[in-house]
Amino acid sequence: MNFSASTTAEERLERINALISRVEKPTRYMGGELNMRVKQGEGLFRFALCFPDTYEIGMSHLGSRIIYNVLNNREDTYAERCYAPWVDMEALLRESGEKLFSLETKRPLDEFHVIAFSLLYEMCYTNILTMLELSGIPLRSCERGEDAPLIVAGGPCVCNSEPIAEIVDVFFFGDGEELVNEFMDAYAEGRRRGAKKRELLLDLCAIPGVYVPAFYRAEYENGQFARLIKTEEAAPDCIERRIVRDLDRAEFTGDLIVPYMSIVHDRIALELFRGCTRGCRFCQAGFIYRPIRERRMSTLIEYADEQLKRTGHDEVSLFSLSSGDYSEIHEMVPAVLDRYTKNRISVSFPSLRIDSFLKDDLEKMQGVRKTGLTFAPEAGTQRMRDIINKGVNEDDLLRTVKDAFEAGWQGVKLYFMIGLPGETDEDVLGIAELARKVSREFYSMPKDKRGKGLRCTVSASTFVPKPFTPFQWEPQIDVDEVLRRQALLRQALKGIRGVEFNCHFSETSRLEACFARGDRRLAEVMIGAYRRGARFDSWDEHFKKEAWDESFAERGLSVDMFANRRISTDEPLAWQHMDALVTLDYLKKEHERAFEGIVTPDCREKCNGCFGQKCATHCGMHSARAEGSL
Amino acid sequence: MRIIAAFSKLEPVKFVSHLDMQRLFQRAFRRAELPLSYSKGFNPHPLLSFATALSVGYTSESEYFDVMLDEYLSPEEFTRRVNAALPEGVRITSALDAGDFKGSLTPLMRSADYDAVLSFDAPVERERLEAAVSSLLDGELIVDKKTKGGIKSVDIRPMLLEASVADYSENHARLEIRGVLSAEGGLPPELLFGVLEERLGASFSRRVHRKKIEMDWSDLKL
Ligand code: SF4
Repeated sequence: MNFSASTTAEERLERINALISRVEKPTRYMGGELNMRVKQGEGLFRFALCFPDTYEIGMSHLGSRIIYNVLNNREDTYAERCYAPWVDMEALLRESGEKLFSLETKRPLDEFHVIAFSLLYEMCYTNILTMLELSGIPLRSCERGEDAPLIVAGGPCVCNSEPIAEIVDVFFFGDGEELVNEFMDAYAEGRRRGAKKRELLLDLCAIPGVYVPAFYRAEYENGQFARLIKTEEAAPDCIERRIVRDLDRAEFTGDLIVPYMSIVHDRIALELFRGCTRGCRFCQAGFIYRPIRERRMSTLIEYADEQLKRTGHDEVSLFSLSSGDYSEIHEMVPAVLDRYTKNRISVSFPSLRIDSFLKDDLEKMQGVRKTGLTFAPEAGTQRMRDIINKGVNEDDLLRTVKDAFEAGWQGVKLYFMIGLPGETDEDVLGIAELARKVSREFYSMPKDKRGKGLRCTVSASTFVPKPFTPFQWEPQIDVDEVLRRQALLRQALKGIRGVEFNCHFSETSRLEACFARGDRRLAEVMIGAYRRGARFDSWDEHFKKEAWDESFAERGLSVDMFANRRISTDEPLAWQHMDALVTLDYLKKEHERAFEGIVTPDCREKCNGCFGQKCATHCGMHSARAEGSL
Repeated sequence: MRIIAAFSKLEPVKFVSHLDMQRLFQRAFRRAELPLSYSKGFNPHPLLSFATALSVGYTSESEYFDVMLDEYLSPEEFTRRVNAALPEGVRITSALDAGDFKGSLTPLMRSADYDAVLSFDAPVERERLEAAVSSLLDGELIVDKKTKGGIKSVDIRPMLLEASVADYSENHARLEIRGVLSAEGGLPPELLFGVLEERLGASFSRRVHRKKIEMDWSDLKL
């Protein structure tokens, strides 16, 4: 036997391939897709970009694709991908003792220098534990020595990352395009110097937007979070969210990897802009991606042309928080339709808002595949929509729906939330009323003018209070109340022609609320639940309620104390050291206005001063107005 | 026009399922900017069909598809452009102009040749292996086959045309197997290996490669 390094690597590859051949969906782990980056050479920094959910979901995440490209554009770094192994692969890895591996080189994760996780939703946290454990890496940062990879994380959940603060070494707060490069520069410098972990972390925490949780200690009083105390003089008092000012020139995805299997968003996504000017009061994305920054239409079309050639995709999607708000939308929609539909490339508009959607555009889309239209009125009555600042009214909705029906659509999805702050039974019943009007709109049209049958899906999710929204202090309603309101709505929707109810309360929305507003004590709860088998918590079929219940009880904590508590606006918040740029005063003011039913205008109408003294520094829209060019 | 092409599917893509192979080719055709013809109707799709599917995990150097184009392309040009666009592991090995042949490729199939490299979990003597392999050709081969109506016992012996040991070493062996492959069905190699493991009283992992699909091209006036 020849035990040279290459033979061992080959044998390992052979063993990994044998495991891959035994799972239900081998292409999740196979790698080797078209446009995958390949790098050879000694001395590269090995960066594992991990997504704590399946390949199908992770590969659909635009942000990870951008970071993959940004890192691989560096000569000193090779970024590889890794996704949470599905339960079949997890079992095989445990049974065989093989370590979790990257897709690109099948290298075990513990041989990487940096392991990064994308944190898109709280319910993926246990998968991080699975991935660390399957790589032979200790779960808690304090248990990891000098040789262990540095564990970093980025994504929207970083705005309150306290529940996993004892697991992750370094968090990235805000846009990553520039931040990861600064991180890698500092990391590379530290390694060259032979810096110890603590020294390295000290270097890193000087980078704006970097949060090193080990440099802070949490204190509690009367069972509640009281304060965070800095244990390292050099650490910043608060961590400012990073924003890429010029999105149009920022690095983007490069050539997109073309998956073999079908993934959730199997198309070319055009990120028209980042941020949103609407200010819906429940929507975290509407606050933590401010201010709005657009890409130019010419940049986007050039990118789409290029990527269609490089990937062979047959769908382009305009992707943003509220695509209809794009300043060039009425040039953009006809332009992409003209350009692409003749080549049988379909164009989808997942978040086109009803009040900005013109009939002409709808008619243009006739030749295109009628992928269902989605509208999100979020609440059933005008009173409730004013509380949440959803600037949509019934007439607009019905008019747009009618236009869509005339243009041939027959599938409509309506998204609502129940349990919003201040909601009464009348508001819940209002949802059914609205659905009835949509149905009437369809069936009152002459048969030859509309499609055969309406398919209107009413979805009602449960409100989850999120940090950095005006509703961050509001409680989630308790389980019995959720179930009662759902039953009320289900009853009211009965018999409405063409309408189907799709409600989805699960324990996971409670846990989501709990982790969204949680503090550092939740890390041990999470580890306890993980030991009891919690995995893939966002997948209903995997959710193990008992595992969580037992683990909360063991720690003397409960979901309710985080999810169902009304926090007073002068209490300390577990995430107050994170500076999301939108000021606390602004959020408080919005909170008050909500309950007075006062609507706050869209930023495009008027600056509402969300960044306090710093509006001019952070926001191009504010500045443009101040200069009179808007 | 219609093009019939033979292609290989090798190691790097052996886990790509049949459905995913269809998408893979469609995307490659788009990258190659072929003048594809599309079906009519609500959800137009390229007119591409495969003679048969290959089991996930198998490799092959003899798969077939046919595709309709709106404009004439020489088979050489077709091959060159598609190969430039295909990912590693998939290659067009030959292509021809189908002329006015209208039918499907599936009924043209007759048989398939497989090469199976077995790796035994514990050493197996050559005589034992050869005896077990030749026993496959004697008498019935009753296996449990999953069908829509549940599990059914069927005799797959009529589907097995040839089986022999081509290479041998203590822990490995290479078998050559020829089985029926037609529009009505074919030899299911995995079920055959199940029987072999039983008769051998030993289990083995395997790599299966389809060397050839025998086609009856006589209907094709070329
Ligand atoms: S600074 Fe003004 S215009 Fe800019 S995001 Fe904040 S409220 Fe809107």
